[in-house]
Amino acid sequence: MTGDDLADRRGMETAVYQPAEDSGLLAEAVVERGHGRFLEVGTGSGWVAQKAVTDADDVESVVATDVNPHACRSARERGREVASAGGIDVVRASLLDPFADDAFDTVAFNPPYLPTDPENEWSDWMERALSGGETGRELIDPFVDDVGRVLAPGGVVLLLVSSLTGYDDVVERVERRGFDHEVVVRESYPFETLSVLALSVK
Amino acid sequence: MKESLMDILCDPLDKSDLELEVDERDGDEILEGRLVGTVTGEVYPIEDGIPNLLPPDMRDD
Repeated sequence: MTGDDLADRRGMETAVYQPAEDSGLLAEAVVERGHGRFLEVGTGSGWVAQKAVTDADDVESVVATDVNPHACRSARERGREVASAGGIDVVRASLLDPFADDAFDTVAFNPPYLPTDPENEWSDWMERALSGGETGRELIDPFVDDVGRVLAPGGVVLLLVSSLTGYDDVVERVERRGFDHEVVVRESYPFETLSVLALSVK
Repeated sequence: MKESLMDILCDPLDKSDLELEVDERDGDEILEGRLVGTVTGEVYPIEDGIPNLLPPDMRDD
């Protein structure tokens, strides 16, 4: 039996990351700072992308991606619910790979960020939604390296960063890639502090 | 996917242009078809409105 079959059998909850505290914080930042053509990378259930459609007044159109086919279908379903407000264009993709230069005014990303033992990695879709590799930054690093390319002039990146991931390491990379950064929202929980950083090109 | 998405999509392998081939549409929404790399010749399917633009080595997992 494959992971996909198992996921189908147990229901979508085991295959698709459902909205949690981090999603709420990212949505808050999106409503506050999102504008123009909007992309959510790794949308999971599509909840934040749906919020971008319904609650972010300055957002004109919404694209959402995920590597997980179950997540893509869930996001497309949420897009249908808000079709009259413009809906969500869902693309199955790895990070920013299939997007042209200067394509977006806003890019939001709640990355898989938990540092994980490599032995236990990529065993199913949920693991993949959570695990950021040994450092916790295995997806954050290539995202930060490439996101400037797809950002239109005046664009902003909204990146969720957990203290578990090594906040200073993320900030250092962001600076090395030539971004200004500020904290849009921050919240502390028993085991981690979550921040959403707004990155803009200097 | 909406046809207007073509403005911002590119081939994930080399960022070159894609060509859209439509089998089924609903207004400006493409439901079934494929995107073909104009340089790489790679074929990316569109199924139930969702284009699969994963690079070939990441597909079918």
